Amino acid sequence: MTSLTHLQRLEAESIQIMREVVAETENPVMLYSVGKDSAVMLHLARKAFAPSPPPFPLLHVDTRWKFQAMYDFRDKMAEDIGMDLIVHINPEGVEKDINPFTHGSAIHTDVMKTEGLKQALDKYGFDAAFGGARRDEEKSRAKERVFSFRTAQHRWDPKNQRPELWKLYNTRKHPKESIRVFPLSNWTELDIWQYIHLQNIPIVPLYYAAERPVVERDGALIMVDDDRMPLEPGEVPMMRKVRFRTLGCYPLTGAVESEADTLPAIIQEMLLTKTSERQGRVIDHDSSASMEKKKQEGYF
Amino acid sequence: MSTKHLSPEVLSERRKKAVRLRLDGHTVAVASQQTGLSAPTVSAAWKAFREGGWAAVPVKPRGRSKGQGNTLSAAAQALLWDGLYAPAPRRMPGWSSAALADLANERLGLRLTQRAIEHWWETEELKHYPWALAALAKKRTLAGRWFDKAVAPAFLRCQNAEQRWQGGVRRVAHAHRALYQIYLHGVRGKLYMRCFEHPPTACDYQTMLSRLTQPAVVVFHGAMFSANQELAEWLASQTSLTVVAVPADLGLEHR
Repeated sequence: MTSLTHLQRLEAESIQIMREVVAETENPVMLYSVGKDSAVMLHLARKAFAPSPPPFPLLHVDTRWKFQAMYDFRDKMAEDIGMDLIVHINPEGVEKDINPFTHGSAIHTDVMKTEGLKQALDKYGFDAAFGGARRDEEKSRAKERVFSFRTAQHRWDPKNQRPELWKLYNTRKHPKESIRVFPLSNWTELDIWQYIHLQNIPIVPLYYAAERPVVERDGALIMVDDDRMPLEPGEVPMMRKVRFRTLGCYPLTGAVESEADTLPAIIQEMLLTKTSERQGRVIDHDSSASMEKKKQEGYF
Repeated sequence: MSTKHLSPEVLSERRKKAVRLRLDGHTVAVASQQTGLSAPTVSAAWKAFREGGWAAVPVKPRGRSKGQGNTLSAAAQALLWDGLYAPAPRRMPGWSSAALADLANERLGLRLTQRAIEHWWETEELKHYPWALAALAKKRTLAGRWFDKAVAPAFLRCQNAEQRWQGGVRRVAHAHRALYQIYLHGVRGKLYMRCFEHPPTACDYQTMLSRLTQPAVVVFHGAMFSANQELAEWLASQTSLTVVAVPADLGLEHR
């Protein structure tokens, strides 16, 4: 009898979740944030439904403030895999020119990400959305179920979650309710990196250490990705060897100094790290339990 | 298996190899066999790696390292640090070892040699070594092509070695202080430096560059001057000063 490795077990579990969603829902979609978790989720989806392409489109809720390398990677991936890619930008946010600098990270995230996502789900009538969130990322994500039910207004009630005993999922939903599904819930950051390495999954180059222009903001290293980044008077960005453990909007995502420019080096770095990758996200530190509040309002 | 006959360098290399083998999933026994180290040594190296990363794997070098001699008192060191964080003496692009020796003599009556200060720089990780730029001319690599295209034409305009500079800015990991350093290598690699608690500003770079005897060419690494409009305009207005930026990840080798 052959026993599965822990990565094979996680892979099988994720594939089972994806197939369950496709069997039980009418109009699923996969949220694609262009990060490493999305890359793994997309790879699993392609495996789950091979030889056909996955029977759902990809949805990218764009804030207009992602790293340029992410946009380049997204467009290349969409072209390579031949899946439909829906890009949604909140038109109200564009009209009001919402941005992280003048409006702050909280308003920017609420308008461009949370409201943008809700608009896109309503506009296309998606009743299930796959997301690449993991339990080890953040405490409110740790308590969220694999199948996370949302009201018609996309709100999450952490006190009203369904049991998922023996990995049996109750997918019945009330009219207008929708489900956020997290096939990577039980993966850790290290699992993700090991899987990317073993399966040779392409990822955005920003995850590898390289010399990049950065400035310091409240102890975080922020990459100067384009000329929209306002500099302090007299400030000159320094070139430092950094990489990103997580990718979001570039003004709100902190880099870490690192020499890890290959996947084995990143995995070795992971073995030693004792902090969550989301330490680098400015939006997670807006206020205490800010992620849980955002999730209740409809954030991913 | 005795490792007593091995030099610290060889032993450190073997310990690193043992950790690499363990990371690849090999057992202690296999790592021990392939490195010639005993099983407890392999385990000790692995434990050191798990607790402190790669930096903790090598064994400590025998004897006293350069600059560890008690030649500089706490007061002298404090004075040198204060100096490095303060503006350099007039007309100098940064602090040289000679200028720091003069400072120690003037303030504390201490007669320090330049070599003692350079050893202290080494201990404090302040000593930056110049790049082997001349060797790039013959190389058919990315760095070689960059040298041919960007540096060689600029050097042609400044034939005198005293007009050719190389330098940069970096953050130095230091246990007791926030440390950003601008370094400049002049003729024969003579080192000038200035330290900062925060990343240097346009004004700091401008002060340093304007103190170079012109005409001058500076090959500079570590700062994105083009992002600061004020500094970029000032550099553009300098007809006898050329700054050649070292591209990211060029991997220049030190002399």
